[in-house]
Amino acid sequence: MPELGRAALVVSLGLIVYALLAGAGAAATRRRRLAVSAQNALIAAFGSTLVACVVLAVALVRHDFALTYVADHTSRALPTVYTLSAFWGGQEGSLLLWLLVLTGYGVLAVWLNRKRARDLVVWVVPVIAGVATFFSLLLVAVASPFKTAPAPLDGAGLNPSLQNPYMVAHPPLLYLGYVGLTVPFAFAMGALLSGRADERWIVATRRWTLVAWTALGIGQLLGAHWAYEEVGWGGYYAWDPVENAALMPWLAATAYLHSVMIQEKRGMLKVWNVVLVSLAFCLSIFGTFLTRSGVISSIHSFTQSSIGPWFLGFICAVTTFAVGLILFRLPLLRARTRLESLVSREATFLYNNLLLVALCLTILWGVAWPILTEAVRGEARVVGRPYYDFFLRAFGLPLLLLMGIGPLIAWRRASIRGLGKTFAGPALVTAVVGVALLVLGAGSSTPGLVAYTFSAFVLATILLEFARGTRARHALSSESWPAAFSSLIARNRRRYGGYVVHAAVVLLAIGVAGSSAYQHITDRKLAPGQSLAVGGYTLTYRKLEETKRANANEIRAVLDVRRGGDSLGTIKAGKNAYSAPAGQVSNEVGIRTNYLTGEDLFVIAEQVDEDGTVYFRVFVKPLVNLIWLAGFVFVLGSLIALWPDAREERRLALRYREAGVSMTAR
Amino acid sequence: MARRRSPARLVIALSIAVVLAIFLLYTSIAGGGTPALSPSQLVGHSGKVQLGGVVVGPVTGNAREGGLRFRLRDRKGSANVAVVYTGSVPDPFRVGREIVVEGSVRGGTFVARPGSMVTKCPSKYSAASSKQH
Repeated sequence: MPELGRAALVVSLGLIVYALLAGAGAAATRRRRLAVSAQNALIAAFGSTLVACVVLAVALVRHDFALTYVADHTSRALPTVYTLSAFWGGQEGSLLLWLLVLTGYGVLAVWLNRKRARDLVVWVVPVIAGVATFFSLLLVAVASPFKTAPAPLDGAGLNPSLQNPYMVAHPPLLYLGYVGLTVPFAFAMGALLSGRADERWIVATRRWTLVAWTALGIGQLLGAHWAYEEVGWGGYYAWDPVENAALMPWLAATAYLHSVMIQEKRGMLKVWNVVLVSLAFCLSIFGTFLTRSGVISSIHSFTQSSIGPWFLGFICAVTTFAVGLILFRLPLLRARTRLESLVSREATFLYNNLLLVALCLTILWGVAWPILTEAVRGEARVVGRPYYDFFLRAFGLPLLLLMGIGPLIAWRRASIRGLGKTFAGPALVTAVVGVALLVLGAGSSTPGLVAYTFSAFVLATILLEFARGTRARHALSSESWPAAFSSLIARNRRRYGGYVVHAAVVLLAIGVAGSSAYQHITDRKLAPGQSLAVGGYTLTYRKLEETKRANANEIRAVLDVRRGGDSLGTIKAGKNAYSAPAGQVSNEVGIRTNYLTGEDLFVIAEQVDEDGTVYFRVFVKPLVNLIWLAGFVFVLGSLIALWPDAREERRLALRYREAGVSMTAR
Repeated sequence: MARRRSPARLVIALSIAVVLAIFLLYTSIAGGGTPALSPSQLVGHSGKVQLGGVVVGPVTGNAREGGLRFRLRDRKGSANVAVVYTGSVPDPFRVGREIVVEGSVRGGTFVARPGSMVTKCPSKYSAASSKQH
C-alpha cells in the first residue's frame, strides 16, 4: 500500500512539472492544444494526489503502524475521528493536505474560468503548477508520508489536549485559507504575464479571496477558542510566532479586499493590488515555514527538520519572481484616474490599507526580530507582549474608526458640510455612549474606553446605513419593511454583506477590549470551606472529586458560585492525569458563561496539594463571548457577500466584453 | 489632458512617515526587546533576559510557596544554571522538557519573573501549546 502512495506522489510530481513547463510554453507561444494538455495534466495531478490521500487515510484507519507516520501520530485506542484528523497532524500529512487543496483549488479555478478568461487561465495553470511543484517535490524527496519501518505494537498516540473538535477543524480551515490565497496570486501573475492591465483578474478571483480570507479568519478563531478552553491559561492569543503566522497573511488579505474595490471602481492602485496579493501569498508560505521549521523560537518549535531551508528557498524564489514581474510590467499598470481629495472614500481606503499593512509589517518585524538580531549582533533578542499590544492599539483603533467613516463618505471628493450632516447622528450617539461608559466605570482603561466608543460609532453608522437603505427601498417600491430590508440586501450583496462583516469585526473589538482591558484576576490558595471574591462573584471551595476513567485520572475541585446573594450553581476545575502517554497532565479549566452579558467566569486549579488545599487562579472576563459570536456573524456576512447574484453576473459579463474591446482598441 | 497635481503621493509619503515615526518612537523608548539566551550565554548579562533550556532535575520546592527550584541546561551541551521560579507552572513542565523563562541572574541563581514560564512542545508538528501570562 505505501508503494501505491509513493507512486501516486511521483506521478503527481511528474504531471505537475509537465503542467508547469507545457503550460508556460503554451502560453508563451499561444498554442491552444498544448495549453489544454497542461490544464488536463493539472486535473490529473489532483486525481493522483487524491489517490495518495486515500492511501494515507486508509492506512490511518487500519492502524497500519508499518507506516512511521501512522505510528507517530495515532494509537489503537484513539477515537476514529482523531485517527483521521491525524492525517494533517504531522509534517508530511499536512504537506499532502496542502498539495491536495492546492491542486483542487487550481483545477476548480481553471475550470470555472476556462471560457470567459481563457487568456488569463493559460498563464494561471503554470503559476499554480509552479507552486505545486515545490510541495510535490517536498513530498517525494524530503518529507514522504509513506516512509516505512518495522511496525511497533502500538502507535505513539495523540496528545490529549489535541483530542478536541476545535483542533480537528482548525488546520483544514487554515489551509483552505492559506492555499486559497494562491489563486488570486496566480491570477494576478497570470494577468501580468499575459500583459493584461484590466480588472478581470480581480473580478475572477473575488469570491476565491473572500472564501480564503473567511476560512483563514475562522481557522484562527477556532485556534483561539481551543487555546482558551483547552490550554486554559486565561487568554486566547499570545502573539506567539505561530499565531502571528496566520494573522499576517490575513491582515494583508484584508487590505487587499479593500484596495481591489478602489481598482474596480476607479482604476487606481493597480500596482498596489498586485503587490498586496503577492505579499499575502508570500506571507502565507512564510507562515507555514515558521510553523514547520522551528527557525524561530516559539512554543511551537517543531523538529529542526531539514525542511526549513527548502521553504526559505521557495519563498526567495517566489518573491524574486513576483517583484521581477511587477517591475517588468510597471508601465502597463498606469492608473486611469488620480486621487482627487484627501477626504474621500478612496483616501479612506488608502488610510485603511496603510494601517493594515503597517500592523502586518510591525508583527512581521517582531516575529523576525530574533533572527535579525542574531544575524547582526550574534545575540538573539525577542519582543514581548507589550510591543504587539502597543501597535495593535496604535494602528487598530484608528482602523476601527475608519470602518465607520469609510462606508459613509463619498467617492472622489467629499464636502465637509456633507460629512457634517452624515456623521452628526452617529457622532452624537458615540458621545452619549462615551459619557455613559465613563459613568459606568469604563474609564479605568483608556484604550478600552476608546475601543468601546469607536465600536459604538461604527455600529451606529452600520445601523444608519441599513435603516436608510431600507427606508429608500420601502419608499421606492412600496414593499413592506421586512421585504424592503431583505430585497435591499439581496440587491446589494457585496455592500451589505460587507457591513455585516464590519459588524462582526466590531463585536470582536468589543470582546477583545472587554476581556483584556476590563478583566479581573485573583490568585488564592483555598482550603475546603474557604472562599474568594472576584469581579462580583464569590467562589467557595467545597471539595475535591476524583474520577477514574479508562485513560485518565480526573481530579476536580468543586466550587460554589454566588453573585450578589444568588447561588449560581457549581463550577469544577482541575487536572487530568493520563495513563497513556504516561505522566502527562493536562489542565482542565472551569468556565461559566453568562449568556446574557457575554461574561465568563474562568477558574484554573493550578496546584492541588496532598492536604486537599488548592491554589486557584480565577478570571472574570467581561464580554469575551462576543469574540466567538463575532465568528458566526463574520461567516454570515461573508456568505451574503459571496452569494451568487444573477444580476451581477450579467453586469460582469458585460464588463468582460468591454475589457476585451478596450484591450484591442489600445 | 493636463495632469492635475494630486495630493496622493504626498499623503502616502506623509502617512508612511507618521507610521514609521510611531514605530521608531516606541522602539527607542521601549528598547529593542530582551535578549534570548541559553544558560551558557548567561555570563555577563545582569539585566532582564529570556532564558531557554532543558529542565534538569531534581525539581524541588513549590512554585506557589517559596519557589520551584531546578536547573536548566543548554539544549546541546552541559552548561547549566540554577533557576528559582514562582507562579503558574504549565502542564507539560517536567524534567527533560524544553522551557523558556524570563528574569535575571542574582547571586548565581536565575530568578524568574513570576508567571513567565513557557513550555515548548515536544518535537511534533501540531502539538499542544501551554503558557501562562
